[in-house]
Amino acid sequence: MKKELTKVLIKRISTSLVVLFLLITFIFFLLRISPGDPAQKFISPQLNPALAEKVRESFNLNSSLLEQYKSFIENLVKGDLGISYNYHQPVTSVIEEYLPFTLVFASISFCIQIFLGFLLALIVIIKRNGRLDKAVSQMSLAVYATPSFVIGVILIFFFSEKVHLFPSSGLSSVDSSSFSLFQSFADYLNHLILPVITLSLPGIAVFYKYLRDNLEDVYNKQFVMNLRSLGFTEKEIARRHVIPNAINPLISVAGIELGILFSGALITEVIFALPGMGRLTINAILNRDYPLVTGCSLAAGFLIILSNLAADIIRASLDKRLIKGSLN
Amino acid sequence: MNLKIATKSFYISLFIVLISFQSCKQETPVESNRAVVGITSDVSTLSPLFAFNLDEGSITELLYLSLVQPDWNEAKSNLEIKPMLAKNWEWNKDSSSITFNLRDDVKWSDGQDCTAEDVVFSFDVYSDPEVQSRMYGEFGNFYRDKNKHINLNKTFEILSQYSLKINFLPKSKPNLFAIALPIIPEHVYDKIPRKDFATAKQSSAPVCNGSFLLSSWEKDQSLILKANKNSFLYNPGNISELIFKVIPDYNSRLTQLKNGEIDLMDLIRPDDINELKQSENIKIVPVKGREYDYIGWNNIDPESYNKKHKVIPNKFFGNPEVRKALTYAINRNEILENYLNNYGELAVTPVTPIFKNSIDSSIKAYPYDVKKAKELLAGAGWKDSNHDGILDKNGVKFSFKLDIPSGNPRREFASTIVKNNLKEIGIEITVEQLEMQVFMEDILNKRVNSYMASWYVPIPIELKPFWYSDLETTPMNLVSYQNQNIDKLLDEMGRKISNKQLNELYFKFQEIIHDDEPVTFLYWMDDIVGCNKRINNIEINPLGVIQKCWNWSINR
Repeated sequence: MKKELTKVLIKRISTSLVVLFLLITFIFFLLRISPGDPAQKFISPQLNPALAEKVRESFNLNSSLLEQYKSFIENLVKGDLGISYNYHQPVTSVIEEYLPFTLVFASISFCIQIFLGFLLALIVIIKRNGRLDKAVSQMSLAVYATPSFVIGVILIFFFSEKVHLFPSSGLSSVDSSSFSLFQSFADYLNHLILPVITLSLPGIAVFYKYLRDNLEDVYNKQFVMNLRSLGFTEKEIARRHVIPNAINPLISVAGIELGILFSGALITEVIFALPGMGRLTINAILNRDYPLVTGCSLAAGFLIILSNLAADIIRASLDKRLIKGSLN
Repeated sequence: MNLKIATKSFYISLFIVLISFQSCKQETPVESNRAVVGITSDVSTLSPLFAFNLDEGSITELLYLSLVQPDWNEAKSNLEIKPMLAKNWEWNKDSSSITFNLRDDVKWSDGQDCTAEDVVFSFDVYSDPEVQSRMYGEFGNFYRDKNKHINLNKTFEILSQYSLKINFLPKSKPNLFAIALPIIPEHVYDKIPRKDFATAKQSSAPVCNGSFLLSSWEKDQSLILKANKNSFLYNPGNISELIFKVIPDYNSRLTQLKNGEIDLMDLIRPDDINELKQSENIKIVPVKGREYDYIGWNNIDPESYNKKHKVIPNKFFGNPEVRKALTYAINRNEILENYLNNYGELAVTPVTPIFKNSIDSSIKAYPYDVKKAKELLAGAGWKDSNHDGILDKNGVKFSFKLDIPSGNPRREFASTIVKNNLKEIGIEITVEQLEMQVFMEDILNKRVNSYMASWYVPIPIELKPFWYSDLETTPMNLVSYQNQNIDKLLDEMGRKISNKQLNELYFKFQEIIHDDEPVTFLYWMDDIVGCNKRINNIEINPLGVIQKCWNWSINR
C-alpha cells in the first residue's frame, strides 16, 4: 500500500509542477498582451520623458515578448523571480514579508470556520427540522448572502465606532513596540478579532450547510435504521457511522476553501488595512508590476495545489479505496 | 466527536479570547506626544532619489534636508525660498553662478558631518543615468554630458568643507526651486554600485539628517518617525513622534479620525464634511488650487496621428468655437454645488488661482448658456439636418465617446451631468469607464476623442510641459493643442525676466488659452483636510499638510 501511495504521490506532484509552470506561462503572456505599461508611473509632467525610456530599458520591456519569456524562464530555473518594479526588492523577499501573515490569518479563520461549522451542524442535527434547525439554516443563508465588505463595515461601525471595543484597522497598535510579549499577543488578537469574524462568517455558513445536509442524508440511509434495530445507541451510531460517512465529501470542499484563503482575502485586507497577499496581488496588478504578479500567482497556485493535495491525502487515509481514485 | 467536549472547548477558547483582549491596551485616542497621520497606501521607498509619489516626497523631505526649502507666503500669495541646509547664498552679478554657505551643525544620523561633498555627490547621483532617479533628465541649466549626467568639474567648486559654488550654463535661467533636492550621504552610498541604489537596504533603513529620523517601518501598516534631537529644527516642546498609519479604506480612515485614532487625513469627501464639523475635536481646512478637473477634447484626429503620424484637426473638436460651445453647454456650477458642496471654484485657465498676482481677473469663466452654445455650433456648421435630434455636419453625426477612469464617483457624477447637458444641444456622448492603466495608456497615446481627468499642478507655475506645441517633446500635451503664439510666450517665460514681466506673460497666456479653450476647464477642487484640534501649529498651505510638521505641538 505504501509503495502504491508513493507512486501516486510522485505522479500527482509532477502533474502539479506542470500545472504551475503552465499557470505562470499563461500569466506571463496574459499580462504582457493586456493593456497598461509598467513604466507609466515614470511618465508625468514632473518627470523627464528620458526617465521612462531608461526605466523601460532596464525592465527589459523593449525586447521582444519571446526574448523576455526566455530570460524569465532562465531566471526562474535559478530560483530568481526578478525584482518588483514597485518595491525595488526581489519578488521573493516581498512575498516573504506578506505571506506569513496570510498563512496565519487564513489558518485561524479556516480552523474557526471548520470548528463552528461542525459544531452548529452537530447541534442542530440532533433535532432535525426543529425550530433551532430552521432558525440556524435561515441565518446561515443570510450570512452567506451578505458580502464580506458589508459584514466588515457593520462590524466596524458597531464595535469600533459605537462601542469602541475593537480597533477598526491594522494589525497592531502604533505603540506596540513598547509592549511585553503577552501584551503584544493580546494586541494582535484584539486587532484580528473583527477581520477574522468578517472572513470566517461566510465560511462557517458554508461548512455548516454542507455538513448538516450530509448528516441528514446519511441519517436517512437504510443502514442507520438497521443499526438502530440492532440496538446501537444514537451516540454510537453518530460517532462511528454517521459522522465519518458525512465528513468525507466535506474534506475536498475544505481543501479548496483553504487554498482560496491562502491566496489572500482581498476585501477583508482592504477594509481592515491588513498586510496580506490579497492586497499585495491587487496592487501589483494595478501597477502592472509584472514580476510581482507572477510571483504572487505562483505562491497562490502552489498553496491551492498543496491544500488540495493535503485534503485528498486525508480523504484517502480515511478511505483507502480513494488512493486510486481522487488522489491519482 | 463528543458534542459536550466540543461545546466545552468552544466556550473555553471564547473565554481565553475575551480575557486576552480585555487585558490588551486599547488603541484609544492617542494621548502621548505624537501625531498620527492616516495615509491611503504605504510608501515604497524612503530614498529621496526614488520618491515618485506625493507621500514619498513629503516623507523623504522630513528625513533629508535640502539646500533650501520653498515656503508659502499667504499674505503675498507667493512662494519664497527659505534657508535649510544652506544658511545663506549669494548669486554672482549675472546670476550664472551661486555660492552656498552650509550650516556646520548638521550631522548624519550615524554621527558623520554633512558637508559640501555630500551636496556635490547628491547632484551627481540624481543626474546619473545608471541610478534612474526621479530627477533624471532634469538639470537643464547645468553643464551636462550627452547622457544628461551633470558635468561635476564644470558645475561645482568646493570652496571649503561647508561652502560650494554652482556654475550654471550661460544664458540659462537657474532658480532655487529646481535645486531644492534632499541631499544624501556620500559615505553611505559610495559603497554601493549605482545601479543597485534602488534595491539597496539604505532605501528602507536610511542614514539621514532631517528633522525626523526613521524609528520603525512595518510594511503596509505604519511608518514611525522620531524627532531628530540633533537637528537645528528640533524643539523639545514639539511632537516627538510622527506616525503614518496606512488605512486604505476611506470609511475606516474617516472612522479613525472621528475616534481620535488618527489626527489628520486629507482627501475628505464633501459629503462627510457636515458630519465632521459636528465633532468638537475636528477642524476642517481646505487646501486650495492644486488640482483641477477638465474634459480633454482631442484637438487633432487620433486615427491619422496614430496610423500616419499626421496632424490634422479633429472633426469634432478641431475648431475652437466648437470647444467654447461645449464649455458654454456644460453646467459646471451644478457639479460644483451638488457634488463638491462648493469646496472649489470654477476653472478658467490652467493657471492656479492661488497665485493672485499672476491671475488675469478680467478673464471670466464662460457661463452656462445653452443658447450661446447652440449659436456657436450653428456658426461652425453643426446643424440637425435630418431632424433626428443629433447635430451633424457633412454627413458626420456629433456623437462620440467620453472616457473616464473607473472607480471615481466624482467623475461618474460629472459625466452624467455632461452627458445630459450635451444632449440638450444635440450632441450624443457615450460615457465609458476604463481601468486607470488602460485609461492612461489611451490618453498618453492620443487614441481617444475626449476624456475627463485632472491635473495636479506643479508649483511654482509650470506650463510648458502641458501646452507646448511640439508633440514629440511634450508628451503631456495630451489634447495636442498647438498655437505658435503660446509657444513664443512659453519660450519667453523660460528666459531671464523680472517677476513683473513674467506675470505679464502669464496674463497673455491666459487670454489666448481662454480664447482657444483647448479643453473645458471644469473646476479647481479643494483638498479637504481634517485634523484633530489637539495638534497646534499645523500650517496647511498649497505645499502640503506635513511640510513643516516639526513645528507641531500637542495641546494638553
